[in-house]
Amino acid sequence: MTILATTQRAIPRVSSRPTRPPIPLLLLAGLVALLALVPLVYLFVRAIDGGLDAFAPLLRPRTLELIVSTVTLGLAVIIGAVGVGVPLAWLGVRTDLPARRVWSILAIAPLAVPSYLLAFAFVGAFAPRGWMTTLLESLGAAMVPSVYGFGGTVLVLSLATIPYVVISTRAALMRLDPATEEAARSLGRGPWAAARTAVVPVIVPAVGAGALLACLYAISDFGAVSILRYDTLATAIYSQYRFSFDRSGAAALALLLLSFALLLVWAEGRVRRRAALATPHGRKRVPEPVKLGHWRWPAIAFSAVIATLSLGIPVVTIALWLGDGLMRGVELEVGLEALRDSLVLAGSAALLAVVLAVPLAHLVVHFPGRWSTLTERLLYAVYAIPGISLALAVVFFTLGAVPALYQTLFALILAITLRYLVQSVGALRGPMLQVSPRTVEAARSLGEGPVGVLRSVTLPLLRPGLVAGATLVLLSGLKELPLTLLLAPPGTSTLATELWDAAREAFYAQAAIPAALLLGISFISVGLLVRRGEVEI
Amino acid sequence: MTVPRTGEVAVRLDEVSKAFDDVVALDDVSLELEAGTMLALLGPSGCGKTTVLRLVSGFEQPDAGNVEVSGRWVASATSMVPPERRRVGLVFQDLALFPHLSVRDNVAYGIRRDRDHAGRTDELLELVGLAGDGPRMPHQLSGGMQQRVALARALAPRPDVLLLDEPFSSLDQAMRTQLRVEVRQILREARQSAIFVTHDQGEALTMADKVAVMKRGRVLQVAPPEVIYAEPATPYVATFVGVANLVPAEVSDGVADTPFGRVPLIGGEGRPDDGHALCLLRPEHFTILEAPDGPASSGGWDVIDRRFSGSEILLELRASDGQRLWVEAGSRVRHLGLGDRVGVSLRDIETVAFGRRGSTDAVSLSAPASGPEGATAQTGTPR
Repeated sequence: MTILATTQRAIPRVSSRPTRPPIPLLLLAGLVALLALVPLVYLFVRAIDGGLDAFAPLLRPRTLELIVSTVTLGLAVIIGAVGVGVPLAWLGVRTDLPARRVWSILAIAPLAVPSYLLAFAFVGAFAPRGWMTTLLESLGAAMVPSVYGFGGTVLVLSLATIPYVVISTRAALMRLDPATEEAARSLGRGPWAAARTAVVPVIVPAVGAGALLACLYAISDFGAVSILRYDTLATAIYSQYRFSFDRSGAAALALLLLSFALLLVWAEGRVRRRAALATPHGRKRVPEPVKLGHWRWPAIAFSAVIATLSLGIPVVTIALWLGDGLMRGVELEVGLEALRDSLVLAGSAALLAVVLAVPLAHLVVHFPGRWSTLTERLLYAVYAIPGISLALAVVFFTLGAVPALYQTLFALILAITLRYLVQSVGALRGPMLQVSPRTVEAARSLGEGPVGVLRSVTLPLLRPGLVAGATLVLLSGLKELPLTLLLAPPGTSTLATELWDAAREAFYAQAAIPAALLLGISFISVGLLVRRGEVEI
Repeated sequence: MTVPRTGEVAVRLDEVSKAFDDVVALDDVSLELEAGTMLALLGPSGCGKTTVLRLVSGFEQPDAGNVEVSGRWVASATSMVPPERRRVGLVFQDLALFPHLSVRDNVAYGIRRDRDHAGRTDELLELVGLAGDGPRMPHQLSGGMQQRVALARALAPRPDVLLLDEPFSSLDQAMRTQLRVEVRQILREARQSAIFVTHDQGEALTMADKVAVMKRGRVLQVAPPEVIYAEPATPYVATFVGVANLVPAEVSDGVADTPFGRVPLIGGEGRPDDGHALCLLRPEHFTILEAPDGPASSGGWDVIDRRFSGSEILLELRASDGQRLWVEAGSRVRHLGLGDRVGVSLRDIETVAFGRRGSTDAVSLSAPASGPEGATAQTGTPR
């Protein structure tokens, strides 16, 4: 899963007197809320189906082990992501590191690469007889540590979450007024003391918010932990659901993971508000970059090692698979079929998301108040819910309430739409700000009817947001794993599930084409994010 | 800080130059701040005034020359004392309060090692009128209150010199006027040596003991406000501070022969050699005559603009040959307006004139009256 609505939420809303939103808008928001919440309620219903006994699994020692392993993973990933992400952000913003812009883009690029793809590439590279293993052994390494288990999982998920810390820290460093540091100096503190007392405390909330996102990502992750065989709540939910008779146990675990995630979302929101308060003024002056001198070589080496691990390894591994697969004559059709199914699925979700997003963005932008805030929070929460929990909720809901929808394409598309709706609403925010009631009134006073206004003013203004909103959901939908895995109708295979099957059987050549396509899609996502300015470079 | 004796020098810049890449910010500037007084650096943006502050505070190093604070050397081209050891306080243009610290902690930041830092903090909060606001956070304060916190924070360690960089530029007009008075009073009572930078001539003239007018990295004149106004050193200073009419004149023997009559020139080294010169005539140097062709009048003038600023009225006049003149309308002729035709005569005054020498920034003779940029009526004359 990817979480990238962080900067979208920072856009200030237009201040205007609170107006009551029109009833149809509220009804629509209510419907969306209902669609998102009812499955979650069903998760709860399903869990207590068999009375309080259903929660018995939560008290088993095995559950405690899972909680410990999940929390340990979350904490270890925080350390990894912060330990690497903060120096990367600092190098990119405050120093004269050569080719800063390139390094900065490389540092945030892994954002759009799905964790399961990164994990699988690491398996391909570092497994016994993988190309990196061979390379390292030929260089004289006695024993290459196993990629499986805790160490490998922490490595891969840290690499995947470094961008969250980098983006958040960068934003804070860029907004930081150099005069604050100078004020500390003029009040008698040396350079280090000034940094410690005047800069670090201002940056800490931003780093904290990034760290909490990294943690959320790690504990919610399903793909990478499964591939790297590290048991967490997410993997346990899946195996309970797939391989056990006791499905209410899976529901109980999913609820548990859900509460952890919501706790993190809540904490992240609080910390981020503090981070926003900590930098009330914009930056007035660009600070003199820190001269690295001879330290630029270790700095370049550090940046290069991280970029090699998070981008170089997947690119090379997948290229090798592709070469290998082509030589052995792997059927291309399988990959293309999967691409077609993926496109139909994600494309439908993207269209539906945009259709829903226009009125919702209208509500959020033009009627600020209790209802619009609630709608926004809900959309973000749905986005941040662990995919595996959401998937299970939809399964139980369709099975229990509307069996006709169980394992249908429609249910899957709806689930993907709801999950990523916040992306298209976010993309429409900026354009929607320009469609003020005054603009519409101006057009009406100049002789356009309602339809004419829509055609000549509203739609042209919204178009960039519509395109971006659809694209973001499309790209997310193409990469979506847990929802597709649990909800797809039998016989439907997408790029993500193809890759998943190949990974399960360690059948690398078969993975080559879906993996290459997914990697390409990921890089398009990154390019889009950078171009839309959602990541400040 | 011991209360400075008069005559001591709080800050001295000695032939200081500073360039950023190829842009010369300061060109051989020498400047002194007398202890216990306030100096205003006045000039348009980009004239180098902020660079002076950054050199004194230690955030820039001079390319040439020396900087002294309270008689101690602090910087030259080869080495310098770091900012934290200079005893120089700073109020930043954008305040730069520590956003993560309360008002109280902001003020106490520079004096945490003092034994009585709590008492001193209370004293300062009291001084700036924020006694009850200690626990609040900066973002909860209004602009004016933030300004006071910044001042209290800078004053807390009892700096030898306080530097203020356009300290009121982010405030609205009413708040600005009020804070100017307050800050001046606070600094006066503390006998605090201070330099402040401004591009607002009204601010410079009302607040400072001395004003240094700067242009393109050079100091054109340093003098008390009244002297800057009455005896500007260059035509640029004359037009930058107040409204100025620069009229062609023939100088001989300390007297300027202008189209409006003969005017004695103020003595001193600035007095031009005999010959062609530009003579400074302020609007209040004239009397308006309602009869344009009376015996004392210098020709007929049409009123082409009228600026009312509450206490006074300025009229822009145009002669038949196109020459323009800013003239103050006295109480008897306040009814005059556009289209009226009047005469003018010169009062019994002394003024200055600018000769050819040193007139690199002279206003060209074909446009003798300064344009509106020098004639911003709301700050046209010191109030």
